[in-house]
Amino acid sequence: MSRNALLAAVAVIALAGPAAAQNRVTIQWQTPNLTEAQYEPIWKQTIAEFEAANPDVKVEPILVARRDHWTKFVASAQARQAPCIVAVDLTTAAAEGYLRPMDDLWAKEPASFRDAWAPEMLSAAKWEGKLYGLPNWGGTYAEVYNRELVEKAGLDPKNPPKTWDEYLRWSKALTGPDRWATSILGGKTDTTTRVLLTWIWGNGGEAFNADMTEATFAKNPKSLEAIKFYLGLFTKEGVASPAPTTTNYLEQTVLFAQGKIATMRNAYWSIAKVIGDNPAIEGKMFVAPMPSNIPNAPTLASVSAHSISQSCRYPEQAWRFIKFDMDKKWAIERAVKANWMPLRRDLVNEPELKADPMLAEFVRIGANARSYPLPHPAWADIAVNDIVDAVQKALLEPARTDEIFRDLDARVTRKLRQ
Amino acid sequence: MSNTTTTTNTPARSWTGRGLARERWHGYLFLAPTLLFLAAVIVLPLFHAFWTSFQRIRGLNSTFIGFANYVRVLEDEAFWHSLRVSLAFVSVSVVAHVLLGLLLALALNKITFARTALRVLFLTPWMVAAAVGATIWLWLLEPQFGVLNYILLSVGIISAPVAWLGTPGTAFAAVTTVEIWRGVPFIMLLTLAGLQTIPAEQYEAAEIDGATSWQKFRHITLPNLKYLLVVASTLDIINVVRHYDIIGIMTGGGPAGATEVLPALLYNTAFRANRFGEAAAIGVLLLSMVLIFAAMYLRITRVGQEDDRR
Amino acid sequence: MNRTSPLTQAGLWIAILIAALVTIFPFYWMLNTALKPQSEVFLSPPAFYSANWSFDAFRTLLVERPFARYFMNSLIVSLGSTLLSVALATFAAYGFTRFHIKGAGALIVFLLFTKMLPETLLIIPYFRLMSELGLINSHLSLILAYSSFALPFSVWMLIGFFRSIPLEIDEAAIVDGASRITTLWRVILPLARPGLVAVALFTFLISWNAYVWALVLTTDPSMFVLSVGIANMVGEYRVQWNELMAAAMIAAVPVMVMFAFLERHLVNALTAGAVKG
Repeated sequence: MSRNALLAAVAVIALAGPAAAQNRVTIQWQTPNLTEAQYEPIWKQTIAEFEAANPDVKVEPILVARRDHWTKFVASAQARQAPCIVAVDLTTAAAEGYLRPMDDLWAKEPASFRDAWAPEMLSAAKWEGKLYGLPNWGGTYAEVYNRELVEKAGLDPKNPPKTWDEYLRWSKALTGPDRWATSILGGKTDTTTRVLLTWIWGNGGEAFNADMTEATFAKNPKSLEAIKFYLGLFTKEGVASPAPTTTNYLEQTVLFAQGKIATMRNAYWSIAKVIGDNPAIEGKMFVAPMPSNIPNAPTLASVSAHSISQSCRYPEQAWRFIKFDMDKKWAIERAVKANWMPLRRDLVNEPELKADPMLAEFVRIGANARSYPLPHPAWADIAVNDIVDAVQKALLEPARTDEIFRDLDARVTRKLRQ
Repeated sequence: MSNTTTTTNTPARSWTGRGLARERWHGYLFLAPTLLFLAAVIVLPLFHAFWTSFQRIRGLNSTFIGFANYVRVLEDEAFWHSLRVSLAFVSVSVVAHVLLGLLLALALNKITFARTALRVLFLTPWMVAAAVGATIWLWLLEPQFGVLNYILLSVGIISAPVAWLGTPGTAFAAVTTVEIWRGVPFIMLLTLAGLQTIPAEQYEAAEIDGATSWQKFRHITLPNLKYLLVVASTLDIINVVRHYDIIGIMTGGGPAGATEVLPALLYNTAFRANRFGEAAAIGVLLLSMVLIFAAMYLRITRVGQEDDRR
Repeated sequence: MNRTSPLTQAGLWIAILIAALVTIFPFYWMLNTALKPQSEVFLSPPAFYSANWSFDAFRTLLVERPFARYFMNSLIVSLGSTLLSVALATFAAYGFTRFHIKGAGALIVFLLFTKMLPETLLIIPYFRLMSELGLINSHLSLILAYSSFALPFSVWMLIGFFRSIPLEIDEAAIVDGASRITTLWRVILPLARPGLVAVALFTFLISWNAYVWALVLTTDPSMFVLSVGIANMVGEYRVQWNELMAAAMIAAVPVMVMFAFLERHLVNALTAGAVKG
């Protein structure tokens, strides 16, 4: 085939280049957080030290804005040119055949290495029984408060609300002219879905049945009750900031940093961002478990994993870098400086992690969390499109909430079974 | 066209008698680079898109499923909803582009001071990337910290900050406004060029007859510009109907689908839902609609040329 | 030009100034934000100017971040596309207007057709094509992409323009013994200069502002163009509005300057060529 001849010619030209003389292979690394300012110094150092220790491998970071991360990955994956190491929506990517199972590489590792991951953590990175990623860092969602605003409202920061009734009482006290208790997320990103799930779980509801073949947003009365209470903070109680349908994680943290809202449901990484926006707020925040109506309500922990793409030509080298990046040193750097929580269970008692009371509290809360994204190939689509759409509709027409979420159940169930 | 002796549709008659018939085919040599180039970079991908629209794509695997993608797309209410949004978006934008562009060009044509500076000024929204323009507007419209709400509140037009992109009606109005802001300059530019081609004698004659400004506009300017305006609006329709940058950045199609134009649906189906087959089918349907406008455009331009020749 | 009364002039000016304000205010706000220190960006009420205006955001972009590099890449890619597209369009327009081409109408339809495809449809096949040619991470892949988008409109405009140049001019040159190429180069091109300038401006603008293609076709940060650099500034949790607006300024100013100098040609070219169809 002429295409192969062409490829061969290109390969010859490429091989004639100086890189080949050093016998060095290049592996690409694409994750959406490389463009985050708080992480940049850390990953640059990781790559530098890795390359110093592995002169035969060059790591090329791929910088891409989060909103275009998946588009860029898919374009290259479709041409079988995907970056070797990626952090993508794992189940979707695995089901589409873009990822390489890692079980062989994993099996070769000593037990001391493998024991660092709890089995339930690993299961979040599996699809149809195969391991497609190694969980690297995550974010547990909890309730973050602005201590000054709480005290100003005459509330006790030592006793944050534990139930929804208490939360509502706090919210009313925290709302004032041009200031609100919190934000309802309804913008077109999956963070809207993440926060909605925490409210549903906090009321003992479920959004899906156990094997994820049916959506139960409206079918499960506890879920529907939770949705109504949560969205009602804006539509009924007026204690949430305006414009929820355009409020994403970004708008929410800006409002919090500027003292426009007193509490936000967010992960630890939001702290770095808030301080970046408003350095004066440092040390004036505290975190607490999210209020819930049932004992031991689980929260949500988003899991980011390193995967190897199907088209990767150097999986051994890629695995070497993944292991390097999993090292305790980088995990702690990421946690302390970029505020991404480590997922290795052997790091929980590291003094550096315990030194920061907020981080320690997030780690404690994270002990009872369900991993996210949910394990279904259509999840990314459902989370960003269908669920967000329903939330937006219900925020705009609260009277139709039942009907909107019944429609959502039907629509999502159809997608789950396709 | 007064000094033109040929068009693409008529051969260079005067040449053949001079022994240049032998080089007739050389014309194709001049066209060849462009046609081959476009064939490689556009036609191949285009065939790929057609092929995809008949496939079920799962990652790297595909199976032929005939028209099933089209059936699924046409049965989905989302498609018809997007079509309605697209029609509204395109018609409002294009009408406003042409009206405002025409008015602006007429006004600029009347003044004598600072013409070039003002023309460049009015062109700016069209010069910067639509994505950049949309980002600026996003910042202007920010509900809490944006300057627009501040201005409207201090003037007293609104009594509380408005979430412009937060409700369907205002969000649609906002993205359409930005599209109008961005697109008027192009029509203005074309119209300005068109105004220069109207012979001054026509106006002079009318003035001698004592015509009012409105009569001059109605009976001289408008008829002279008619052809140009139709061409410009057709080109504009073709551009706006495919346009996604502004909506992609400002609303992503929300809230509750209020700004989900067809290109937004196409993008979300391909790169959010990973259903490339259905996305390709939407693309082919969108393309066919654009083609209808293109056919109209061709008819109009041909009619225009015939008018000229008479 | 016809005379107008002072009252009409005043009315005209008021209308023009209002329109100018609406047109330009977003750019003023962009500049205002770009010059503000980070701490004042979220002031409410927002400040229309600040005593603390500074070029810090620009300095950060150009010194600490590789925006100068992005700028160079944008320039190389845009100039390259402009050259390629203008050259191809010149030949094609000359062929269309100076020779009898069978099915010329159909070919022009084809040209227009290529302009109408929704971009999203082309992303994956185009990436595949470029990766098979080994052109990922090259200026050339972007130059080819952008030229192909600009080409149909360029040919269309130049056809209109070349038609307005009398055939007798070619004839005279050829009778004097010049070849077709010499005629085109020595005789036609100088006459067509305004048209060429207009086409070049259009192509430059398209290339300078394009995003999606650069997004998928470049992975090496040293190959990024401005539009990609700007998009990457929008972090998940953090947008530094002053830096973002400064980056937008860096991208916008060159085209504004270019248009300020060449706008005259644009109107002339449209008058002479495309407008008459």
